[in-house]
Amino acid sequence: MIYRERTHCGQLSNADENREIRLAGWVDAFRDHGEVLFIHLRDRSGVVQVVFSPDASPADVCEKAGQLRNEYCVAVTGRVFRRSHGTENPNIETGGIEVVATELSVLSKADTLPFPISEKAMVVGATVKGVESVAEDLRLQYRYLDLRRPSMQHNFMQRHRIFRCVRDYLDECGFIEVETPILTKSTPEGARDYLVPSRIHEKQFYALPQSPQLFKQLLMVSGFERYYQLARCFRDEDLRPNRQPEFTQLDIETSFIDEEFMYTLLEELTVRMFRIGGVELPRPFLRMTYGESIDTTGSDRPDLRFGLRFIDATDVFCGTSYGIFRQILQRGGCIKGINVKGQSEKLSKNVLQNEYAKQIVLGFGAKGMTWMRVIDGTLESNIVQFFSRKEQQGILERFDAENGDVIIMIADPSYEIVTSALGLLRLHLAERLDLIPRASYSPVWITDFPLFEATEEGITSSHHPFTAPDRTDFDPDNRDDLLALHSRAYDLVVNGEELGGGSIRINSKDVQRRIFQALGLSEREVEEKFGFFIRAFDYGIPPHGGLALGMDRVVSMILGTSSIREVIAFPKNRSAFCPLTQAPSRVAQEQLAELSLLDLGGSEKLLPGSEQEDNPVDALSWVSRIAVDDSERSHIEKAVDDARRLAEIVNDCRGSDEPLFSVVSVVNRTRTEPRARRSSFAENGELFRNAPSVKGDFFKVASILE
Amino acid sequence: MPVECNKGEFVMITEIFTYIDPEPPVPANGGSLEGITVAVQPTMGVRGWPTEAGSVALERYVALEDATVVDRLRREGATIIGSTRISELGFGLVGDTSARAVSEGAVDVALAMDTMGEARIAAASAHLFGYKPSYGIVSRFGLIGLIPSMECFGMIARTPREISSVLSVMAGKDDHDFSMSDEFPDFESFDAVTVENVKLGVVREAMEFLDQDAYRAFRSSLSYLEKAGMSIREVSLDEYDLFRTIHNVIGSVEASSSAGKYDGVRYGHRAQAVKNWNEMYLKSRGEAFGLPVKAYLFQGAYFQFENYEAFDSACRIRSMLVRLMESLHETVDYLILPMKSGNVPASDMKTIDEIYGLCSHALPANVTGVPVIYMPGGLFGRETDPGFQLLAPRLGDARLLAFAAHLFDQAEGGV
Repeated sequence: MIYRERTHCGQLSNADENREIRLAGWVDAFRDHGEVLFIHLRDRSGVVQVVFSPDASPADVCEKAGQLRNEYCVAVTGRVFRRSHGTENPNIETGGIEVVATELSVLSKADTLPFPISEKAMVVGATVKGVESVAEDLRLQYRYLDLRRPSMQHNFMQRHRIFRCVRDYLDECGFIEVETPILTKSTPEGARDYLVPSRIHEKQFYALPQSPQLFKQLLMVSGFERYYQLARCFRDEDLRPNRQPEFTQLDIETSFIDEEFMYTLLEELTVRMFRIGGVELPRPFLRMTYGESIDTTGSDRPDLRFGLRFIDATDVFCGTSYGIFRQILQRGGCIKGINVKGQSEKLSKNVLQNEYAKQIVLGFGAKGMTWMRVIDGTLESNIVQFFSRKEQQGILERFDAENGDVIIMIADPSYEIVTSALGLLRLHLAERLDLIPRASYSPVWITDFPLFEATEEGITSSHHPFTAPDRTDFDPDNRDDLLALHSRAYDLVVNGEELGGGSIRINSKDVQRRIFQALGLSEREVEEKFGFFIRAFDYGIPPHGGLALGMDRVVSMILGTSSIREVIAFPKNRSAFCPLTQAPSRVAQEQLAELSLLDLGGSEKLLPGSEQEDNPVDALSWVSRIAVDDSERSHIEKAVDDARRLAEIVNDCRGSDEPLFSVVSVVNRTRTEPRARRSSFAENGELFRNAPSVKGDFFKVASILE
Repeated sequence: MPVECNKGEFVMITEIFTYIDPEPPVPANGGSLEGITVAVQPTMGVRGWPTEAGSVALERYVALEDATVVDRLRREGATIIGSTRISELGFGLVGDTSARAVSEGAVDVALAMDTMGEARIAAASAHLFGYKPSYGIVSRFGLIGLIPSMECFGMIARTPREISSVLSVMAGKDDHDFSMSDEFPDFESFDAVTVENVKLGVVREAMEFLDQDAYRAFRSSLSYLEKAGMSIREVSLDEYDLFRTIHNVIGSVEASSSAGKYDGVRYGHRAQAVKNWNEMYLKSRGEAFGLPVKAYLFQGAYFQFENYEAFDSACRIRSMLVRLMESLHETVDYLILPMKSGNVPASDMKTIDEIYGLCSHALPANVTGVPVIYMPGGLFGRETDPGFQLLAPRLGDARLLAFAAHLFDQAEGGV
């Protein structure tokens, strides 16, 4: 087939009627009507119906077509006809026409598929079974097939367009893309590094970058002024649902600018990216200080698509006679609440007291919860009798309460507990009461973060130690002074998700030195870890700042996918494992020897991960999860030896017959009932009758991690 | 730990039975099995009955629903008396009491899972008839199996007719078992058979396993058959010793896979004081399996994880063996095989090798899925005769049982 002559399936339309064309692609689906055979032919551009009919197609073509199966790769020549009235297929864009085949060649065949690929029904009203019920690991194992599905193709086309939009826009603004190294130096930033052993430098390691932070700042010293990179970054973090060990971030750094420049640049860029997904973001983006965000939403990445902002009620209760509140206030605590407008019907006494107060908020870290429903202009609650008339009036006024409202308050000696528990409660209520408008987007800049956080040993940077403080007159030895400092950092948050963040950096050697001193780093430690970087401060460092955006997350949000794995071509699964390539994997003893890794740590024992580590019984015990005790070991070793011998015998005389898995010949069986049904044992709870340990409606098991 | 049955009553446990139904449902009237009593094994589900399959892996397991065969038998008027004792997960015969339930008169027919000949070998130890039907004609729904491609509901009874009447009720399509055949034997049309001109084939290679006494006894059984007018010829199956090899390879792989479900989460044994999920699996499963089964599961794991080619090879060889058996059946009506190759009691079979040694002549029928009946010794000669197995082509169950019944009648009449 000559590519110049090829027409693309999805581009055909009524205008092509009577054209003689050549197509190539995959068999998306087929329908055999005895004499006449229909297939959906799919290529990157879309799907078109091809007809093989004895009236119009040569007999040998019809016969060959009868052999076609899903996902055969084929080339077809034929003529375009308009479909007769009533046979159009609205499920596909080319549903008004069909191609009557005159030639067919099978370019390559396909085996039985591990899951369905077709997403377009061949007839009106029919539905297509998607991959929702397919285990994700199976999709990842056959990712090349998963990516054939039109919805996945769409995700990656859109990802490409979003990335191109980034490059075009930053190019317009005078930015240049510079690549920074992947093999670099391990630095003590937030997460764990992925280490790469060096062969040439024995027992020394490179690290994969967690971000190009220091390089991009050095590029500012180099005078590039406007740098960006769509950079691959790596973090060896613990299992979390929506994280990947490697991810792509848009890394930006610019010189001679301030925060306002970054806001303008990023807002325009974000608006353009979302526009590709058909989303028009409101500008300018809201701005909130960190303090305000915590104070009103309990989070530094607030979801502002809905209300339920916190209202402080501490002063309403000063001098209260209600014991619990009085004690909390005496210990310097606070009382905050939210008014859930007009939801008293959905939030019954029972739900509020037995579900929320007794269970849910305890899981959020609070010790209790106070609730009041507004009925006929007065408060109704299990404890309202403890409040004075003045306090009750105060609550109604403070929360601007009307009939049907529900007021929920949390009181605690700790401000952090009040805000974080109430913040989680706010999200829980919004979700449960369906208060979050779908397809709405609320971008917000969060600013004025604290520069440092207190730890048990001292203090640590909230972002990283190169973030500029809001003032430079601090005393590096005064802990209170340090904890009062704010940073010139900013995070971009959309719908409660942090898409990225950055800061104006320190560009004074003296300030940088005092920050290190505040962090408790000795001059020698600074030299060891950051010497190469600090030296650059001696050669005319410009004022600069930047930002990084998590692009996988951005694309996932724009496309509304359930996980970032849907927008990464070859992701790892939730256990940081790649079911397709089976990475990570063991390596040969020789490779470890070459890297001088065999005697690290001085132990005689072989390193875990080297191939000859296990004896065969231990390896089998692990893969089949059956423990063996010492009294059984020799018996089992003998059985495995016997198995090895049996294997030799059968492999020696395997012959040429096809393998037989059952003496009953294979037939297709389909469920006789039209729909899958839950087992009645699941519904009536009998399923749990034999379980060794049950908690509520779940089988109770040991924790997955220690 | 006392077991609670569906009526919450005290459960009588005897030497033969692990469970006896204190109040069996009133049998259906007018069924073909009216008055027949049947024993099952604790690998066969009867709702509300303890069903521990002789294994710690299923300790305290109570069946939630009836196996299809239980339902079919009850609907034809049979009474299910109780569950006999079984070796761990039905692997081997240590502690098995299925044949005793019949020989001591507790039931008319005992069902016994036949994975590698257990029903026939148990029958042989008690001078009873043992039967394994064609693979795929009896629903395995509700059977806690170990080797799904080769196991069947076997039967033990005093006469071939009892087996025939029970099997004709048990056999038939069941939507719950996707592994079944689409064809079934026709039990209606084989009431009268003759033995004239019947051709029997003795597999030469099987004879080579027998010691001299056993060989002589076996020959004398055969001479009775010749006198009754049947022709016996020797046939050859060079690959006879491969039945055992490939049953071991395929069986252990399927067992390893089937036993994967015993995780101690939804039912069965759970180890105490474990640190995490992985350790819960390791320890629970480590404690759940006894030695022969555990060793067998390790063999299966070896083929699955380290030498899958061997499993593939074994399945290819199974194809060849099925083909060879079919061609032997084209030259003769029934094949004859000995049952036991030595005189070691089943209770001593504690290693995989010993179990396979005991079962080696039973395996051809399991591997190729053909029906087979064990004809007890003493019928046609001396009491010490070991008896023999008659194998028919797949789905030839009705003809085989009619033939066996005919031989039985003649022998009864003749002796």
